[in-house]
Formats: sequence, C-alpha cells, structure tokens
Amino acid sequence: MSDPAPTTPPPPDTVTLTIDGTAVTVPKGTNVLEAAKTLGIDISAFCYHPGLSIAACCRQCLVSIEKNPKLQPSCQQTAGDGMVVRTTDPQSTLARKQMLEFTLVNHPIDCPICDKAGECTLQKLYFDHDNADSRVDVPKVEKPKVVDLGPHIVLDAERCILCTRCIRVCDEVADSHQLEMINRGDHQELTTAPGQRLDNPYSINTVDVCPVGALTAKDFRFTMRAWELDSTPSVCHGCATGCNVEIHHKNDRAWRLVPRLNAEVNGHWMCDEGRFTYHELREGRLAAPVVDGLPSSWDKALGTAAEKIAAAQAGGGLAVVLSAQAGNEENYALAKLATAWKAQVFWTARPHRPERADDKLRDADVNPNTAGVKAILGGAADNDAAALEAALTAGKVKAVVMLGYDLPLSEGALRHLRELDLIALASHERGPVKHAAVALPIAAWAETAGSVTNRDGKLQRTHAAFPPPGQAVAGWEAVVRLGQAASPAAKLTWAHGRDVWKDMTAAVAPWKGAPWGREVRPLQLRFAGSRG
Amino acid sequence: MAGHGHEEAHDETAGPKVLAVSKVSPKVRTIAVVRPSEHDVTYLEAARKGLGVTLRHFMKNFFGKRRPAEALAKGEAVEPRSRFKPAWNEIETIQYPEEKTHYPERFRGLHRLMQREDGNVRCVACMCCPTVCPANCITIIPAESDDKGVEKKPAVFEIDELRCVVCGLCVEACPCDAIRMDSGVHAKPVENRGDAIMTRELLLGLSADVGKDPQSTATQGGEGPDWRG
Repeated sequence: MSDPAPTTPPPPDTVTLTIDGTAVTVPKGTNVLEAAKTLGIDISAFCYHPGLSIAACCRQCLVSIEKNPKLQPSCQQTAGDGMVVRTTDPQSTLARKQMLEFTLVNHPIDCPICDKAGECTLQKLYFDHDNADSRVDVPKVEKPKVVDLGPHIVLDAERCILCTRCIRVCDEVADSHQLEMINRGDHQELTTAPGQRLDNPYSINTVDVCPVGALTAKDFRFTMRAWELDSTPSVCHGCATGCNVEIHHKNDRAWRLVPRLNAEVNGHWMCDEGRFTYHELREGRLAAPVVDGLPSSWDKALGTAAEKIAAAQAGGGLAVVLSAQAGNEENYALAKLATAWKAQVFWTARPHRPERADDKLRDADVNPNTAGVKAILGGAADNDAAALEAALTAGKVKAVVMLGYDLPLSEGALRHLRELDLIALASHERGPVKHAAVALPIAAWAETAGSVTNRDGKLQRTHAAFPPPGQAVAGWEAVVRLGQAASPAAKLTWAHGRDVWKDMTAAVAPWKGAPWGREVRPLQLRFAGSRG
Repeated sequence: MAGHGHEEAHDETAGPKVLAVSKVSPKVRTIAVVRPSEHDVTYLEAARKGLGVTLRHFMKNFFGKRRPAEALAKGEAVEPRSRFKPAWNEIETIQYPEEKTHYPERFRGLHRLMQREDGNVRCVACMCCPTVCPANCITIIPAESDDKGVEKKPAVFEIDELRCVVCGLCVEACPCDAIRMDSGVHAKPVENRGDAIMTRELLLGLSADVGKDPQSTATQGGEGPDWRG
C-alpha cells in the first residue's frame, strides 16, 4: 500500500480503510460489510440486516483482516483507520464456502415448492459460492413443517437457517418479543415465545427479512413465484405515513406490497394492514362511465355531466368535493376546474382511526393525502365534512362534483345528496357513487403516475404499475375531459401527468420547484437478485 | 423452377450488378433489379410441368398397385427402383384412420401428468414449466395440499394444446417427473379453440387411455438420501 497522500485531510468523523486493495473512506462506526458495499463488494451474509442490531451468528461474512490472527465477521467488525481487509483471499473464501456447506447440511432444498425460490439468499449464495453437490449422506434432521405461527405467518422450521433476523424484527421493530430459538446445535429451531403467537402489526416484515423460505406470508403463499413478478416503486396509500413500497405485480394485478427503503419515512419496514391494501385494487371497481345506473360511453356521460353542471352553475348551487384519498394531481386539477366554475369547494376524507395509531409507522389518519389536499386548498379546515353537511342540509347545493367515494356524512345529509345531481369521479363503485347521476371511472393509486403528500408534508411520487381496468383513465385526465365538455373556457389542456405537476408545483407554495423525476418502468424481479 | 429469372442473370458469388455508387456514402448503391422475363410471367413452362406431375400421379394411381399395409405401418423404406419393379409404381396412400402411418421414434404427442402411488398428481406446482414454456401454453394455479409433506399442489393445471409448440422443455424443466410428453397421441381435432385446452383430469387420465404406467418411479425431490424415512 503506497502512501495515500491526500491533498485535503479527511473529515475527523471518518475512517479510511483498504478493502481488497482499494482505499475507501467511510463515516466512523460503519462496519466493514457496509464499507465494502460502498465499493461494490457484496460480502455474503444471512443474519446481518442494515435495519437491525447485529447478531453475527451466521458467520457467513467472515473476512481476513491484516494483523488479526483469526477471521472476523465483517458485519460486527467496525471499520478502523488503516485497516487492511481482504475478502477474496483463499482463507476467507474457503471459510465462507464451508459455512455455506454447513448451513446447507440440514436445509431441505425443496426449492420447487418454496415460495422464496427466486429471491432466496441461500439460493443466490449457493450459486455464487459453492455450486457443489452435498457431501452428506446421513438423514437430515426433521423439524416441524407448516407451523401456523400467527394470523399472517406460516413457519417451515426445516428451511430455517437460524439467522434470528425475525426475532430481532419482532423485538426491535414491533417491540414485542414473540419469537424465540429453542434447543441447541442441529436441533435448534425457531418457535413462538411461551404463551405467544406471532401476532403484531408488523409481523410480515419477518417474511421480508427471512433470507430463506422459512417464514411465508399466508396472503402471498403459493400465489405467485417471485421470479414471475414485476416490481414498480410506489407509496402505500393505507395511511398518512406514506411508507415507500414496491408493488409486485403480474398479469395486470398486484400480488403483494413490500416495503422499500426510505430512511426518512419508513426505514425498511411497513405495517401488515398497509400490505393488504392492494386487495382493494380489485374489489368493486368502476370500469366504465355510468349514467343513471347504466353503463355508458365517455361521450354520453360527459355530455350529461356538462348539462347538469351548467344547470347547477346557473343557480349558483354547484359544489366540488376533493378527497384526501386521491392523489395531488387529480385534486389540483379538480380544484382548478372548481375555480373556473366558481363553485363551493369542500374536501372529505375517511374518518380517523385512533385505535390503530402507534408511535412507529401507523397513523390514525387513514388518508394518504390529507396534507396534499390542505396544501392545494391553501390552509383548509381540518374537518370539512361538517361544512359540506351543513351546505347539503341547507338545500343550497343543486349538484355535486365529487372525487373519490368516501363521504362520511350523516344519513340525513346522504338522503339530501341522493336527490341532487351527483357527478362522481371514482375508482370504485361504492357508497354514494352507486347513486350518482354520472360516475366517471378513474385509475386507482397503483395504476397511474402521480404523487401524494404524507403527514410530514413530504411530497412522494407514485408510478403506474399496470393499466387501469376497462375505460378508466387517470384522475386528472377525467377532470380534463370533464372540463373540456363542461367549460371549455377553463382551457384545461394537460396531456400528461407531468404537465399537471408542472402547473401544480408552480402554484402550490410548499412544492415550488419539486422535480417530476424520471418515469419508472417495472423491473422484473428475476433480474433483481435476492431480496432476503 | 423457371419462375425466377434472376438465376441466369448473375451468379450468387458476384452479388447484384451495381449501376452506381453514392459519392457521399459509399454504402448507398444503385443496383440493377432483375425481373422475370416475359417467358416466365406467362407461367406456360410451369403449367406444363405441373400438368405432367398430375398426369404421372394419375397413371400411377390408375395402373399401380398398393404397397402392403404392414409395410406402410412399419415405415419400411421404398424398395430400390429396378427395371421390373419400379418404386413409383406403388401407391403411397393409406386408409387412415384404420391404418396408421409410421411415426419417428422421437414423436412426443400430447402431454400427460404422472401420478403418485396414491393416485394424486405428482406435480407440486413449482411453476418451472410455465416459466420455461416458450409458447405460454401452461396455466397453473397453485393451492395448499392436504398432505403436509407435499404442501403444494396444482388446483388448476391446463395446457392449451393449440398453443403448444411440442418443444418438450416442460419435461426437461420438471423437477418431479410430473409431466411427460410420451403419450404418442395427436391433439384431437376440435370445433372450438377452448376444447383444445387439456385440464388436469384429462392430462392425468391420458396414461390409462394410451395404456402406459401412470406412476413414476423417480424419487420425488431428487436422488438424495431419503431424509423423510
């Protein structure tokens, strides 16, 4: 190693070490495994997870460190100044290979029926490292299979490689000690803690971190093979936290949601309830425009809607209802159209659910875009449903243009609403949309490129994973069509979500200058490597 | 055939006749287009030849004699042409479906699904065959098996025999010897495209229909030690 001779001395809170002959400077306290990652050197590991504490029990990340007589687990070894690390020398390579063989001794290798196949760390490391036949000809240790650990999780103890990641997820993410290891040696196995079930709001994170197929989610079990899925980055629409997720989809439908790393929002995790929100994407969808309860064409629906809007506008009784369930673009587009109509503007949201709130990721506000609607309306009231209810019962409103299908109103107000001309732009045929004079089908959150704003005011982009059903179009596009039919003077001419974004970020102060970013295409998981 | 006149116009090695080369981009060249001669476009020559073939077949079928059915079924080679027994004097027509012609040894035929000892399907719905299938003709919907040692089974296993390109990759991919392509029977003629889709029950029953052993003797899960005891 020659003298590095830096022109400027490195900042005091960093250390410089050499890994495989390349010098790298990392912040103090970084472990060797992460330092190697910055160089693109992927040291194999099972038990290490960047979001969890370090156990160093799998011994799969052993490396040689100069002046150190024994191999060190690189996940536990903090990087030191002047440290010389080797990951490719014969000693550590052989050690990792032998550790892998040791791990495989009692592994059932039932990849054909294992749901993790295709995204399994053990599978990947086997191909990376060893790729040799087993040398063991004694029977494998039998352990319980298909163990029902809790409402969402099934355990196959034979596949478990005892990395304890799941135990640490329960302890550190969910703050509930529900999993434990029992017995020793090759009879060691994972089980629930005495008197406990694996039943916490973050339990499916154990499946994500499981490097093998020991823990599988009942929701996803046996539905799809990992390698068949495409992945599109998005944001969970389950509550105001806005956890970053990947939508895993195939055949124009979502099959599961998994968390995507965002240190500022959700870290590596998301809650179970949020994972199941994808089911809604297929239930009770509105796939064609509906006029007076009958399926119709877009032209006829828009014509009918324009007539009703013009009639109500003349009497000054037009109300526009925005929704905290919808994205920023459609809310902004409809708010702009409401200004052109000189209509009264309200916004609604699903009622808060304080019982689900915790100080981690789950928020009482189950609407993904409350902050966004408030920003677009520029300091709107917290609870606008009361104002809408008052306006409806007062009988001043003749027609309502509504985004979404959530209208938490009293029975009396809903009865009033049924007598009015309701024009709904909705993704689902639910609630008041069933009685709408005109219902225009719009895309749900996973089907269109857009954005939502989370509880901290963070503007987050979502991407279209698959096309909307039938004749549904993106929400802002439905607003544009409605605007062109009902009031051409408003001159809504957006042709792309990016155009709406450009106008919106120019008009809404907190989002000034926010970039639309690159369009994201679905990534085939078969090319994404292991997720464990 | 006399249909393409360019054969006499140039030889293959010389390439087309170049009339001009662009000065700006030398790759852009003007070449002479060879069109069929007037003699060719009348098709007189081709029509004469075709009529001759038809006449020859007529004479053969009218005056010739059939080859014995056994010889046809065995696929024996046509005997060498001799002065007294010319091969062309034998009719190739067979009386299908009473008589069937010879098939090559590597003929596969329809897929069949293999059974376990208890008669259940061997398939564990691992999805390797629909993954590898170049024609996307295999549809599997997996489900939980009642047998905890098996875990996974196909609730739906369908093969669209119209889409199948008979490549046999599904058989290669199968880790359980659950699917084979050795039934030796054709896809049946159907009136609706949907009728060509073979369901799990049809695929399982095909072994009995063609008189083959429905059970496989291969060790499920590979040739390792029998760790289930």
